[in-house]
Amino acid sequence: MNARFVAGVTGASALLLLTGCVAEVPAPVTENPELPLKAAVLEPQSDRIAEETHAELEAADSEDDAELLTDRVGGPAVTIRDAQYTLEDDGDGPSPDDLPQATQAVYTVGAEGWPRTMAAVTEPAGEDSTPVVMMWVQESIDDDYQLRQWSHMIPGAAIPAMNGTTEGAQQLTVSAEGLQMTPEEAIDNYLELLREGTDSEFEETFAPDSYRDQLFAARETLTDAASEADGEYEDSIEGDLDNTFVMSTAEGGALVFTPLTVESSFSVDDGIVEISDAQQSLVDGDIEEVAVYDYLDTLVMYIPAADSEDQPAVVAADHNLISISAG
Amino acid sequence: MTLRTAALAAGVLGVLLLIAGLIADAQRPPRDVLATADVDTPVVVYSPAMVEFAAQSRLGVTGEGDIVALTARPADADAWLAEHEATEVTGLPQWETLSTTAYEAVEPEPTASPSASPSASASASEEPSPSPSPSGDDEAAEDAEPVDILAETSADHWREQWNGVDRVAVSAADVPVGETLIIASRDGSPLTQTDMRLSREVNDGWITPLIWWGAGLTLVGLIALIFRFIDTRPVQAKLEARRASRGADADETSEPGSRRARRENGELLPDASLDEEPASPSSATSTESAKSTDSAASAETPPSPERSPEDEGGRS
Repeated sequence: MNARFVAGVTGASALLLLTGCVAEVPAPVTENPELPLKAAVLEPQSDRIAEETHAELEAADSEDDAELLTDRVGGPAVTIRDAQYTLEDDGDGPSPDDLPQATQAVYTVGAEGWPRTMAAVTEPAGEDSTPVVMMWVQESIDDDYQLRQWSHMIPGAAIPAMNGTTEGAQQLTVSAEGLQMTPEEAIDNYLELLREGTDSEFEETFAPDSYRDQLFAARETLTDAASEADGEYEDSIEGDLDNTFVMSTAEGGALVFTPLTVESSFSVDDGIVEISDAQQSLVDGDIEEVAVYDYLDTLVMYIPAADSEDQPAVVAADHNLISISAG
Repeated sequence: MTLRTAALAAGVLGVLLLIAGLIADAQRPPRDVLATADVDTPVVVYSPAMVEFAAQSRLGVTGEGDIVALTARPADADAWLAEHEATEVTGLPQWETLSTTAYEAVEPEPTASPSASPSASASASEEPSPSPSPSGDDEAAEDAEPVDILAETSADHWREQWNGVDRVAVSAADVPVGETLIIASRDGSPLTQTDMRLSREVNDGWITPLIWWGAGLTLVGLIALIFRFIDTRPVQAKLEARRASRGADADETSEPGSRRARRENGELLPDASLDEEPASPSSATSTESAKSTDSAASAETPPSPERSPEDEGGRS
């Protein structure tokens, strides 16, 4: 009995000692550690998005079929590419825009909501070409980033410094404050400048750019040609705020990606408007006295911060013919 | 208390220590521990805080079929999880147990498009059974394309990915700081268990010394016990007799020329003193003569610290 008692006490003591041997369960971590890279998309992801986009474009380019542009290309980009396929199909039309895969820089946002954007500046496609600014949009967590527009850079223009992946750019709205003008105002003012020409009060507001120079030059030429044929030339230019996306720059400015629709009406009196062979494939209907050209242009505009001495400027723009109709 | 009694007591203590040490050794808690929790949803979530808590531990999930572990920003993970049934691992209340709770989405995105699950049912209806039967719907369901809950939505928000079959395990250190870890069965079937393999500190360095001390003391006690049952008196008597005989032999013989031999021969040995001036050889001789009896007697007593001049003269 006594021996059992001693053995029991000894064993219990050993187990008691063992209980004290094991360290306490560590205290829980109650707060999430800070995310070091806050950008929505990091380099491996942006590389994958770009690769899949170019793969989809290549597949569609090889068939000249815009219906193959489904997951990675959407919105205005599909409309523009579809028109380019149509022009190419005719044989006399130009090839679709060459969108280089090599990029100089990729800009992503740190936004936690949707929609989100990602932009990339490519290398120039050739010696006679300028880099292309491409912009993707993700509408929700379920949707892939889709290429929505691209524009060739204006010669001499520069993309302002943008935030890296540590913070990412801010996803701004068209009514964002703290800029020399809100993006919506900037678009309205620039549209007014395009409509009114060099006499516009906004001519000095925006830095010179070759896009509006070419538009004004074409307007003058077509107006003169229509006058010679006793006809008329008119154009109307509208913005598309629903498809406008704004990213902040590192210096507090904004980079605005916006499509414009340009409708040019060319008419002659007692005659038929002649459409060039290269554009015949885009003609819809029988063109006679009036021909209406529909363009879907893509612009990238830089709006400096309110305290900046820079001028708002269009840094990239493309003028894309979509269709020609009888009006 | 005799030496034997003390050794026996040490032996008893040694036995107790040995038993305690052996029991402790047998019950020694493992350093590596697996904390588990049963789950029954297709998705398991580890928040960034839980991933940081796991530190160097390995996080695993078991189920059937393809299992994928992914990381995403917390905001993106919340948006994705808003459309999926998920279990969140919330803590480690005990070393062997993980606590879990049903994941509650922070806020579903208003722009979120409908999930792709309708497309799966649509494809099933587009492929009717070639031989119509009352169970045609079931067969159509069997013919349906396999569900992939990850392919139903965009994958652009996933940052890291690990794949496994029936099980996937990820070191928490491999999950980027601040990102949410989501583990899902690709076909949407419920997962069965999640686990966290931890290494913990066990303060068991005392067990081995305890065993050795116990063994040593037990050995001492055992020796004492053995000697208790063995009669050593004959051996002791033999040893004492031998020692005595050796002493007697030593008394009979003295080395020729030694002080002992000289004393035995009746010679007077000089007695030294430091208190007086060194004496002349003649006086020394007379002193030796006068003190011859005392010097013979002082040979049996320890030498006095006082030294006489005669002693110094003798050494010179």
